[in-house]
Amino acid sequence: MLTREEAQKLSQKVLALSTFPECQVSVSTIEQAYTRFANNGITTASLNLRQSVSIAVTRDGKTGSYAANDFDDASLKEAVKKAEELAALAPPNSERLPALGPQHYPTINDLDPATAKAKAPEMIPHVKTIIEAALKAKLVAAGLIERSRRAQVVANKTGLFGFQESADSQLTTTIRMADGSSSGWAGQPSLRLSEIDSAKLAAVAIEKCLRWKNPIRLDPGNYTVVLEATAAADLVRLIQGGFSARNTEEGRTFLSKKGGGTLLREKIFPDFITLRSDPFDRKQPSSPWTGDLLPAKAVTWIDKGVVANLAYDRYWATKTGKEANGGGGGRLGGGFGGGGSLTLDGGTDSLEQLIAGVERGVLITHLWYIRNVNPQTLQQTGLTRDGTFLIENGKITQPVMNFRFLESPVRLLKNTKKLGPALRVRGLEGGMMMAPSLVATDFPLPSISDAI
Amino acid sequence: MLTRRHFLGASVLGASAAALAADLFAAPKDSKTPSADLETLGAIALAESKKYKATYCDIRIVRLRDQRLGMRLSAERGTSKTLAVPTVAEDSTFGFGVRVIVNGAWGFASSPLVTKEEIARVTGEAAIIAKANATIQPKPIQLAPVKAYRDRWETPHEKDPFAVSIQEKLELLRTSSEEIKKNQRVFGSSATLSLRSEDKYFASTEGSSIQQLILQIYGNLDATAIDRQAGISRSRSYVPTQAAAGWEYVPEMNFGENARRIREEVLEHLAAPPVKEGKKDLILMPNHLMLTLHESVAHPTELDRALGYEANYAGTSYITPATIGKRIASDHITVIGDRTSPRALGTVGYDDDGVKSSSFTIIDKGIFRNFQTTREQAHLVGDKESHGCSQADSWATVPFQRMPNVWLKPGPAETSLDDLIGGIEDGVLIDGRGSYSIDQQRYNFQFGGDAFWEIKGGKKRGMISRVAYQARTPDFWQACDGTAGPAYWRQYGTTGDAKGEPTQINSISHGCSPTRFRNINVLVTD
Repeated sequence: MLTREEAQKLSQKVLALSTFPECQVSVSTIEQAYTRFANNGITTASLNLRQSVSIAVTRDGKTGSYAANDFDDASLKEAVKKAEELAALAPPNSERLPALGPQHYPTINDLDPATAKAKAPEMIPHVKTIIEAALKAKLVAAGLIERSRRAQVVANKTGLFGFQESADSQLTTTIRMADGSSSGWAGQPSLRLSEIDSAKLAAVAIEKCLRWKNPIRLDPGNYTVVLEATAAADLVRLIQGGFSARNTEEGRTFLSKKGGGTLLREKIFPDFITLRSDPFDRKQPSSPWTGDLLPAKAVTWIDKGVVANLAYDRYWATKTGKEANGGGGGRLGGGFGGGGSLTLDGGTDSLEQLIAGVERGVLITHLWYIRNVNPQTLQQTGLTRDGTFLIENGKITQPVMNFRFLESPVRLLKNTKKLGPALRVRGLEGGMMMAPSLVATDFPLPSISDAI
Repeated sequence: MLTRRHFLGASVLGASAAALAADLFAAPKDSKTPSADLETLGAIALAESKKYKATYCDIRIVRLRDQRLGMRLSAERGTSKTLAVPTVAEDSTFGFGVRVIVNGAWGFASSPLVTKEEIARVTGEAAIIAKANATIQPKPIQLAPVKAYRDRWETPHEKDPFAVSIQEKLELLRTSSEEIKKNQRVFGSSATLSLRSEDKYFASTEGSSIQQLILQIYGNLDATAIDRQAGISRSRSYVPTQAAAGWEYVPEMNFGENARRIREEVLEHLAAPPVKEGKKDLILMPNHLMLTLHESVAHPTELDRALGYEANYAGTSYITPATIGKRIASDHITVIGDRTSPRALGTVGYDDDGVKSSSFTIIDKGIFRNFQTTREQAHLVGDKESHGCSQADSWATVPFQRMPNVWLKPGPAETSLDDLIGGIEDGVLIDGRGSYSIDQQRYNFQFGGDAFWEIKGGKKRGMISRVAYQARTPDFWQACDGTAGPAYWRQYGTTGDAKGEPTQINSISHGCSPTRFRNINVLVTD
């Protein structure tokens, strides 16, 4: 893996090779170890290293970029030459801004050395724990345990330099009846592999599987729902795209007002909804720079129900005289910057207490195949999965068939009534955030899925 | 940080990795055998694996190249000026992966350093992983027999797309994006062109030595329009067939005419009234139906899903081995799995198990016949050989079962699109890709589209908006009562098909003719 000193030496070497006035280099090295299991046995396992150097050069407003995965002198020289050849052929970029000078990036370093170097001997015991628990219950386990170690470097000819190392891990498992008649899921992302509790995850997935057997068909319709933290995160994280200042001011997001203007500083969510990104949160540290290479900072997007900020990338901030606070890197869809640092502040009620407060509703474990139906309203569709239950008079009474949902994170947050404590969770589609379990009303579940 | 300096002698240090890869994969025109240097490198892994008592070993040495070009035009804030944002970028990766079976279990390791010493070291790493995996291996891996091949295969092409000048490509994108933006009411436009090339060498202890070159071309046009008073934003796209082909294919994309068409259609879309909800008949055009076919036929007929190997992520399937021989669609539906289809993205000479490409029937007149399989899966459904569906998306990833091109046979020659439309009282014609979502056993799906036209009294009427349809897969395919003839058959690709953990991406094509489905649940979206 790349050290800070190697990163500096490598980036300086690339910058010195370029004859163009502007040159930006990004280096990435990722080492990944994983073990995958299914049908109560290991199916694949791998240890792999990927590295890339990406070079973007600019002259007269014309930019070309080239990426390669070999760091030898000859390869770097050729990569710079290729980028310069591409730039010479490129048309000028009307939205190009001058290169940034030296930046002071905050240190976000919480790398756990044991996680960073873990291999099969550290991971296989977790797999054994899950499979043995499944076999004992006469069930069938599948899952994945993985850890990754990353080093990211950015540098340019005007003195900008940044280096960031991180490590992360996760274990997810799906435990099913041997005849395929029920399924339960549990998962845990963890900055420290040693904190993954495989026995607890096995117990949760097994309990869901045993409890979900023979689900009844509940009529489609709008229901009060209790979304477990993973399900809440699956949907809430998708609100990010709507906060793009550019798209909003151009009339293309849910925060655009009809006829012009925006909903900035208007209260459109309940008092207890606060959504923020904080790259320094030790529970989920993220990149110290934004997509535009500005220093990442903590920003509150929804403050006690009020739309507190829109996300300005560097270009749009310059154009409108505002301060850049997120997005960038060519991501017109917006985003808050410092990916992976999003938090929906939680409340104090446990999941059991949230369920106890619901007269009639549906408990949802997590969501699957979530896709944007309308980029402007952020209406999404997808399905419930691996543990869906009817709640009656504050108690889980029956397993129910899965549903398709059709809802936006905007309406979900508007209809939220109660929150549990926020946890770091990661859904099947990869989104990581701190999210609480929540209770929301009028959640559209328009059709039944036969899937188990 | 790894560099070849750690492994190579001084004599070759002057060469870049790109130059080394170019040398390795170079071959005289019409050569039918792999390069001797690749065969020398491959043999190291195969020989090394014997030291670890491997019963099987293969190595893939792969170079991937991508070229991405784009032009985005939008109106400048507060002026009448148009802002242009180009993209001019290339990526290249080069490396190798080694797979072994030791003690009946798989092991895999990979490296970006293609040297003799590193190949030997990584083969040892793969063997160590296999031994560890064997401690929790219920049954030993069993591979279906395969012939040994020594061959060199290329995507049929006349002109190397990477050899065409960047200026020519950018000019095509500039004129297309400007053509869309000619109407001032169009807020933004974009045009993109992407090229991909995969040089791949495969050698296995079965005796095969195979070199392949796979070339792919993708393009896209987009138009956006905004009605600020109504608070509505709409888009319209043109996605030409993504093809495995050379540059000679690009004129067939016909960007110019389609830029003019979507310029008008995006404005029609902006003003289009919403659909009225209810049960309706649908005509699904090939550039839309290809995705429905992909999600609800191609994925559920993957054998690894059906047997639970993807249960933790992509899911299982409503189709099981017990479904073989049973009806899952109407008589109009015959579906073929095919890695030989001309210009299709999933077409190769050999898969990543070294199995020669072929085609096979998945559904015959509505009856389910065959799963997609790899060598390690064939015996699980009593097959004697693999259908050749093994693929990895990079040198750094493990080959596993991925779908081939999956296509729907056209209807009778005399059946036209107008015939299908003429038989509908109340329906919708859907063109292009929109949002799509399907459950983990591929039962319940919802699809949107890129553009929609109302059908009333047997005639195609004006454009409508906010359309999606929901259905249960077996019911939907039973509700098909006609598909247009071969003259209407078109093939479209998808380049981002995700499966597996960690996720791998696949590119494949699906061909079909416009097809009619009766009495489908249509809903109005936001």
